[in-house]
Amino acid sequence: MTLGYVLKKLIKNPLAVAGLILLLAFVILAIWAPVFAPVPENSRDPYMIPRDGFSSIPVPPTEEHIFGTTEGQYDIFYGIVWGTRTAFRIGVVITLFTTMIGIIIGSFAAYYGGWLDELLMRITEIFQAFPFLLTAITLTSVLQAVYGRGEGNFLIYSAKLLAFLTFGSSIFENINPIQLSIITGMISIIMFGWMTIARVTRGNILAVKNFEYSLAARTIGAKNLRILFRHLMPNAIFPVLVIASMNIGSYVLTFAALSFLGLGAQVGYADWGQMISFARNWIPSLAEYSHIVVYPGVAILLFVLAWNLVGDALRDILDPRLRGSR
Amino acid sequence: MINYIIRRLLIMPVLVAGISVVIFGMLSLLTPYERAALYVTDIPKRQGAIESIIEKYGLDDPIPVQYWHWMVGQKDEDTGEISGGVLRGDLGWSKVGKSTVAEVIGRRLPASAELALWSALPLIGLSIWMGIRAAVNHNKFVDQVLRVAAIAGWSIPTFVFGLLLLLFFYSRLDWFPPGRLSIEMSQVVLSDSFVQYTKMHTIDSLLNLRFDIFKDAIRHLVLPVVTLSVVSWAFLLRVTRSSMLDTLRQDYITTARSKGLPEGKVVGRHAVPNGLIPVITVGGLTLISLFNGVVITETIFNIKGIGSFMAQAAASLDVVSVLGITMFSSLVLIVGNLVVDVLYGVVDPRIRLD
Repeated sequence: MTLGYVLKKLIKNPLAVAGLILLLAFVILAIWAPVFAPVPENSRDPYMIPRDGFSSIPVPPTEEHIFGTTEGQYDIFYGIVWGTRTAFRIGVVITLFTTMIGIIIGSFAAYYGGWLDELLMRITEIFQAFPFLLTAITLTSVLQAVYGRGEGNFLIYSAKLLAFLTFGSSIFENINPIQLSIITGMISIIMFGWMTIARVTRGNILAVKNFEYSLAARTIGAKNLRILFRHLMPNAIFPVLVIASMNIGSYVLTFAALSFLGLGAQVGYADWGQMISFARNWIPSLAEYSHIVVYPGVAILLFVLAWNLVGDALRDILDPRLRGSR
Repeated sequence: MINYIIRRLLIMPVLVAGISVVIFGMLSLLTPYERAALYVTDIPKRQGAIESIIEKYGLDDPIPVQYWHWMVGQKDEDTGEISGGVLRGDLGWSKVGKSTVAEVIGRRLPASAELALWSALPLIGLSIWMGIRAAVNHNKFVDQVLRVAAIAGWSIPTFVFGLLLLLFFYSRLDWFPPGRLSIEMSQVVLSDSFVQYTKMHTIDSLLNLRFDIFKDAIRHLVLPVVTLSVVSWAFLLRVTRSSMLDTLRQDYITTARSKGLPEGKVVGRHAVPNGLIPVITVGGLTLISLFNGVVITETIFNIKGIGSFMAQAAASLDVVSVLGITMFSSLVLIVGNLVVDVLYGVVDPRIRLD
């Protein structure tokens, strides 16, 4: 199975094509964010949504603010456009890490087998036994306290690495507190989001482990790690990578939920979940201020929908049981 | 069968131990001072107050010692009393709830349980029925519509969906208000003449023969139940569909068809009982997504249950409460998964024989 085969199958599925077009639109929106929503001259950080005054009452769409403003006069259109970048950054980096952790754990468990397999799979099972969102909330609140004291330890270094990958900020300076609260949420999602990938990887490596070419490699004296990474991985990893990349949507969804609860991005940051969290204060009069939910809500929905539409079709293509049946 | 159940039961302590280690690991990221501060309600007037708390609770002991104290309790050297201990039901003191975490859970569980119960029952029936329809009409119009609906339901964030429902059905139409009961009704519930057997309003009102309260409680439950169910509905529908598709391709289905059985009987008697077996296994996952959904749903609909307390405690960085509730819900999940596993073994002989 090659990339070409998968793509050819994919463009025959109308739902997947709709998803791909949506994704392309979001990519364009993210790349040309400064064109769609120009950054005001006096802005220090383009990811902070510009405010038009400080009134606490949301203003419905006007000519100047085409999607209206939220409580605190944050411009919703600006937030949605720049929020696209935030969503991609967060989703991609989280996916990168969960996939890496999942592949390492899954492939070692499958290749070495025995007690290591038993141990790693028990650990995977324990992490799966947690209610995901609850644990992510827990870890986020603990990490916020830990980072509050700002000592140099392993957690700070991993946060710096994530900040470097997500925002391109320097590893040698202290992390800007606005970015730090986002990183905290990301670490929580990474910690409790790698298990499915580990299981899928393990299954796929097990399936190819005893093929002749793997035995042949062992016979000529190849080292374990070499067999695993040079011979088994390339044959087993493709479906894993494809499925893992489709997780971006669900990670963005979880992060939005954290932000909505006030644990992810800080107030005023161009993040969709954070923008919707204002709506909690306006529930009785939502009919009047529907724009504060509808626009950012539709943005999240379309973003996640796009990934899921493509992902759903990919799963069918990659699932060997369904192949040839349609 | 007995062997199978025993094997599942033996895994349980391993899972509980693992979960407690992870949760304690998160707690031990905090310094002794930070953890001591969780017990202090106002600025200590006396110097060394924090140090004495650290001393008293042994917060600077080695981590394994602290873990032991946290799990099984700590013996007071003067009085000989044992205090604390997760295994003894003590999850610590909740700063936000202003009582022990166990008490907060006891107080708030009925509201969450009521919500989850009302969500789970219609949810399971509806999604399984729809999943079967989709599989039987594979690649036809019904299947495509349900497929798109399921992907959309799977993609919409719980909080957006809940807020949109509130926008239309509360703010605009005023049909279904948030909260658990209207003010008049909650006064009746709190009065002496109304006996609160379970603290779940829908059940209590029936037991007290107060149908007006029952109606009011249902009116408040409609939107949160729909919000909480939508993700799991999409998930269960997809699982049922793919499992049914698998079953419909089996040889015994072809046999049944070639015997000349009517299609309804082939599906209803031969395919459905077998096709639903894998659906049971995802029961645990459905439970997890209900747990996750409860946090958001209760927060939006202003229901004073465990989930909204969790969100509130997390926002005020009350780590003890948050960890306690996570511990509690993980235990519920483990028990739930055990039930699911046993059920699976009961309905599918292939599982318990291997």
